[in-house]
Amino acid sequence: RLKRTLPVRGPQAPTLSELMRWYCLNTNTHGCRRIVVSRGRLRRLLWIVLTLSAVGLIIWQCAELLMNYYSASVSVTVQFQKLPFPAVTICNINPYKYSAMKEYLYELDKETKKALETFYGFSEGKSKVRRSVDDWNSTGSDFFEQIPLLKVEDFSRTATELHSGQKRKIEGSVFHKDSSIVNSGDSNDIIGFQLCDANNSSECALYTFSSGVNAIQEWYKLHYMNIMAQIPLEIKEKLSYSAEDLLLTCFFDGLSCDKRHFTRFHHPLHGNCYTFNSGESGTILSTSTGGSEYGLQVVLYIDEADYNPFLVTSTGAKIMVHDQNEYPFIEDIGTEIETAAATSIGMHFTQSRKLSKPYSDCTETGADIPVENLYNKSYSLQICLHSCFQKAMVESCGCAQYAQPLPAGAEYCNYKKNPNWMYCYYRLHEKFVKEQLGCQQICKDACSFKEWALTTSIAQWPSVVSEDWMLRVLSWDKGQKLNKKLNKTDLANLMVFYKDLNERFISENPANTLVILLSNFGGQLGLWMSCSVVCVIEIVEVFFIDSLSIVLRRQWQRAKKWWSGRQQGRAAQAMASDVERQGHENPACIDEDLPTFTTALRLPLPQDSPLPRTPPPNYSTLRLETAFTEQLPDTLELGQH
Amino acid sequence: EGLIEFYGSFKEMFEFFCKNTTIHGTIRLVCSGRNRMKTAFWTLLLLASLGMLYWQFALMFSQFWAYPVVLTMSMDSEPKMFPAVTICNLDPSRFELVSEQLEQLERMAEESLTFLYGPKASARLSQLRDRNRDRDKDGAIRVQAWANLSSAGFRLSHNFSLVRMWDPRAGKKHSRVGFRLCNSTGGNCFYTSHPSGMDALLEWFRFHYMNVMAQLPPGLPQHQQHFQDLVYSCQYDGEPCRPSDHVHFHHPVFGSCYTFNSKGTDPFWAATKPGIPYGLSLILRAEQKEHLPLLSTVAGVKVMIHSHNQTPFLEHEGFHIRPGIATTIGIRQDQVNRLGGNYGRCTTDGADVAVELLYNNSYTLQACLHSCFQQAMVQRCGCGYFYYPLPAGARYCDYSRQPAWGHCFYQLYSRLRNHRLDCFQHCPKPCRESLYKVSAGTAKWPSAKSQDWVRQALRHQNGYNSSSSRRDIAKVTIFYRQLSSQAVHEAPLLSENLLLSSMGSQWSLWFGSSVLSVVEMLELLLDTLVLSLLFCLQRLRTRRSPGGSSPTPNVSLALQNSRELREE
Repeated sequence: RLKRTLPVRGPQAPTLSELMRWYCLNTNTHGCRRIVVSRGRLRRLLWIVLTLSAVGLIIWQCAELLMNYYSASVSVTVQFQKLPFPAVTICNINPYKYSAMKEYLYELDKETKKALETFYGFSEGKSKVRRSVDDWNSTGSDFFEQIPLLKVEDFSRTATELHSGQKRKIEGSVFHKDSSIVNSGDSNDIIGFQLCDANNSSECALYTFSSGVNAIQEWYKLHYMNIMAQIPLEIKEKLSYSAEDLLLTCFFDGLSCDKRHFTRFHHPLHGNCYTFNSGESGTILSTSTGGSEYGLQVVLYIDEADYNPFLVTSTGAKIMVHDQNEYPFIEDIGTEIETAAATSIGMHFTQSRKLSKPYSDCTETGADIPVENLYNKSYSLQICLHSCFQKAMVESCGCAQYAQPLPAGAEYCNYKKNPNWMYCYYRLHEKFVKEQLGCQQICKDACSFKEWALTTSIAQWPSVVSEDWMLRVLSWDKGQKLNKKLNKTDLANLMVFYKDLNERFISENPANTLVILLSNFGGQLGLWMSCSVVCVIEIVEVFFIDSLSIVLRRQWQRAKKWWSGRQQGRAAQAMASDVERQGHENPACIDEDLPTFTTALRLPLPQDSPLPRTPPPNYSTLRLETAFTEQLPDTLELGQH
Repeated sequence: EGLIEFYGSFKEMFEFFCKNTTIHGTIRLVCSGRNRMKTAFWTLLLLASLGMLYWQFALMFSQFWAYPVVLTMSMDSEPKMFPAVTICNLDPSRFELVSEQLEQLERMAEESLTFLYGPKASARLSQLRDRNRDRDKDGAIRVQAWANLSSAGFRLSHNFSLVRMWDPRAGKKHSRVGFRLCNSTGGNCFYTSHPSGMDALLEWFRFHYMNVMAQLPPGLPQHQQHFQDLVYSCQYDGEPCRPSDHVHFHHPVFGSCYTFNSKGTDPFWAATKPGIPYGLSLILRAEQKEHLPLLSTVAGVKVMIHSHNQTPFLEHEGFHIRPGIATTIGIRQDQVNRLGGNYGRCTTDGADVAVELLYNNSYTLQACLHSCFQQAMVQRCGCGYFYYPLPAGARYCDYSRQPAWGHCFYQLYSRLRNHRLDCFQHCPKPCRESLYKVSAGTAKWPSAKSQDWVRQALRHQNGYNSSSSRRDIAKVTIFYRQLSSQAVHEAPLLSENLLLSSMGSQWSLWFGSSVLSVVEMLELLLDTLVLSLLFCLQRLRTRRSPGGSSPTPNVSLALQNSRELREE
C-alpha cells in the first residue's frame, strides 16, 4: 500500500484533542495540568481562563522588557587628576592690518564711503587721497557696478542705484521677508543689495536688512571675500599679525612662555590666529594645580588704530578653548574679550561619551558618513556640516567658498573666474539654512566629545595707579619694533585657567545586558506559569509541529481514502461511504487499519473524553496502561514491512 | 459531569492536591506518607522556604513602595526652538498721573540725604531733578486733567523717615540707617535697618514709590513706547525680525520690556545651527535716562533668557548689558524632567496646585510663590503688594488707605523667607523645566575706527540722536553654543515590570511555583471550606433525623459522580 511506503513520522497522539490531553498531563508548565485533572466543568473553564490570562500576561510583560532593552543608563564620574591643558586659540578680531591691506581694498573702501555719503550724508572729514591703483584693482571697479548698494523704496519696488542715482525697477524675487520694523520711522527706505544670475538677468534676488549697519557690513563682506580669494595664502599670512605683534607677555603655570609655545593657524575670516598648546610639538602641557595663578596668562596687543572700519565694528580679541584634535570654529563659538580689561576665564572640564547605534544615532569617527572631512581634524558635527556645504558649493557653483577649506581640485570663488558665484552662493545658503541640501540629515553627532564650560569675569585693567608704569614697561618691551607709547585701550589681559581639577566624565552604558534581559524573562515566565525555555520549546513542538502534522496526516488519509474509493468503482462505493461516515463521527478511527494503529498507541482512553467513542471490539483487549510507545505508529508499520 | 464536583473526604482532597499541584515538594509529602520522619522533614522544609519567600517579598515591596528614582542623563540633539528673550531698558516711564508725587518724593529723598549726610550729599540729586522738571514741563499741563480723578486723596507720608541708629555695642563708628514701621495701633514697631545708608535709601525710596504707583488705576493705557526707541536693529539667523515677533509690557522698575519669541511656535525661530551667525543679534539703545535716579542705580539694558510662555522675573534672573560693549552670550539648554506621582511632588501645568496663579502664563515655581505671597498679603494686610499682579477684587497697598501695610508686609515677607509661610509647601516644582546656561564674552563696540559711520548709519535710519562721544549703544548677540542639550530624567529604579520579574525569580527559586500555583492553593482553601461546610450540614441533618442516614441529595449526587468517575 501507498501509505506504508511513505516514511510518515508524527506526533504521539492520533488526534488533536488526544495530543492536548497528553501535553497537559505531562508538561511542567503550570495550569495546564489542572485543566485536565479538575473535576467539574466550571472549574475546568476557570482554569482555562486562568492559564490563558497567564500566557497573555507573560507576553505583555516580556514585550515591555524587550522594548526597554535598548535604553542606556548614564554614569557620571568625577575624578581628581592632573588634567591636560586644552588648546587655546587666540585671534585678533580684525583679521589683517588695515594699513597693509589698503592697496587691495582701496577701491572697495572708496565705494563704501561713497555709499555712506549718498545714503547718510556721512563723510570722513579728512579724505585720504591715495592714488596707488594697480592694474589688479582696476578690474574690480566694473564689478562694483554689477552689485551696487541700493536704496529700496519699499512699496514702489524701485531702487536708487548708488552710482548713477537713477532709479530702476526691481525684477525678480525680493528676499527680505518683512522689514517694517524699520519702516515706521521717518525714513521708509531700506538699504540692500541685489544679486542677479549672470546668465539670466531676470533672475534676481534682493537682500535687505533691518538696519543700514548690517546692510553695509554684509555688502562689504561680500566684496571683501571676493578680493581676499585672489590673494595667495603666503601673502595673507604676511598681511596679518605676527606672533610678536599680538602677544606681549605670556605666562603658563607660573613660568614664562613665549611665541614658540604658540602655533600659527590661518583662519580665513580672522587672519592669523595663534594656538597655545596645540600639541604640534608632540607634548601636551598639563596643569597640576587649579586657579588663576597656574593657567595661561597673556597680554595681547590689539592695535585698534589699524582696524578695518567696515569689516569689524568691535574691538578686542576672540579666543576659543578646544581640544588639540578639534578644529576651532572661532567665528561661530569664539568668546570675545575686551580691551583695557582683564578677562579671567575659568574652565570646567567635562567629557561625554554616548553609545553609538542602536542606542543613539551618533558616529564614533565619522568614517561612516558619506561626507569627506575637509578639515584634517577629528570629526565633529560642525565640520561635517561645513564640509557638506562646501561640497555642494563646488558641485553647483563650480568654486569653493572662501571661509572654508578647499576640497581637492577646487579653487576659491572670485568674480573674475566665476562671475555668477555670489548669486549661486546666496541661493545655496538659503537652501542650506532651510535644510533642503540634506546636510543636516547626513551629518550626525559625534559620540564622544570634550567640553570646557567657561565662566568669564571682567575687571578693569590696568588699574589707575599701575597704569603708568605698566604701560611704560610694556612699551619698552615692544620698543624695538614700535616707537610709540602703548595706550591701555590697545591692550587686553587674558587669563585662562582650570577652576578646579575635577574632571567630569559622563558616559552612557547599556542599562540592560543580555544576561539581565534573560533573567528578567526567566522571572516573568516563572512568575506566571513556572515555565522555562524547555517549556517554550515543548509548546512550540506540541502546538505547532505536532498539531500541524496531525492535521496534515488526517488530510492525507482523507485524500487517500477518496482516491481508493474512486479506484474501487461503483460496486464498492456503497461500502466505502459507510466507512467514511463512521470516520466522520469518530476521528479516532479514520482508517480501515486503525486497529493496528491504536494497538501501537496503547493509550489508556481518557475517562471523560468529550468525543463520542465507538471503540471497535478488537482493540479494547489490547489496551495497556502505559501512555505511548516509543515508536510512532506509522514508522512501526514501516518497520514491520 | 456536574458543574463543580467535590471530594468524598478531606484525605481524598489532600491527596488529589498533593498529587496534582505544581508546587515543588508537596508530592514528597504524599510519597513519604509512610515515613513520619520524612514527612515532618518535608513539611519543615516547605514551611522554611515559604518563610524565606515571603521575607524576600517583603523586602522587595518595601523597596518598591519607597519609590526610589535614578537620575538618568541623556544628550539629545533634537531640533529645538530658540528660547524666549526679554530685554528691558531700565527706564520706568513716569506716568503723568503721579509725576507730581514722584517729584515730591525726590525732594523728600533729598531732605533725607541732607539730614543724614549733610547738605553736600544731595546737591547732585537736586540738579538732576531740576533738569528733569524742565524736560517734563510740557507734559505737566496734561497732568491736571488726570489728577482730579483719583489722586486727590493721596499725600506722601512723612511718618516713615530715615533715621540713623547708633549701635551701643559697636561703638560710635558703627551706625545703621533705617525707617520705622508700626502696626495700625502704633504699637509693635520695628526698624528696617541696613548697615549701609545707600541700601537703606534705596529701600526707603522703593517703599514710597510703591505707594505712589499704587494710585494708578489698573487699566491705565500703557505709555506708548516705540520698539525702535530701544532696538535699533534686530536680526535672527541673518534675517530681520518681524514686528509680530515681540511682545511689549511695562515693568514698574525695569521700564519698557520686549519679549522676543514669547510663544515659541513660529518656525521662524527654529534654531538650525549653533554659532554666532545663526543667533539673535540686537543693537540696543543703552542710554541712562535720568528719570527716577534712585530706583535703579545701574545703566544699560537688562536681558533675560527664559522658556516660552514663562513670565520673566527679571529681578531674579536677568543680567545686565553694559553700554558701549558688544556682548555675545552663548547659551546651552539643560532640561530637567521629574517623574511626579508617587516619585516626588511636581506639577505638569499647575492645574492641581492649591494656589491660584495670578500670572496667565505657564506654571513656574517662582510664579506660584509670588501668587501665594500675594494671596497671603491680601488676606492678612487687606491689600496687594505692588510688584505682583492683583487677585480679583483687591487693591494695591498705599499708606493713605492702609497706614500699617508696611509693617504687615515686612513681617509677612520675613516669614516667607524663613519658610514659615507655607507657600513652599503649596508650590511644587514643575515636572518639566528648561534651564539655560549662559556664558558671555564682551568686546568694545563700536570700535574707534568704525564708530563714526556706525553712528551715522543708525542716526539716519532709526532716529537715533546722540553725540558720538557717549557710550549709549550696545550690541547683544545671543546664540546656541551647542544644539544638543543635556536632559536629566528621573526614572523609577524599580518599575512594576522589574518588580514582577524579580518576584518571579524568587518564586521559582524557592518553590518552582507560579501565580497559578497560588491559585491552586486558593482553590484548595475554598474546597476545604466548602467541604467542611457540607460535612457540618450533613452531620446536622443526621442528628436531627437519627433514623434516616441518607445524606443530602445534591452532595451525595456529586460525591457519587466523582466516585463513579474514579472507578471508571
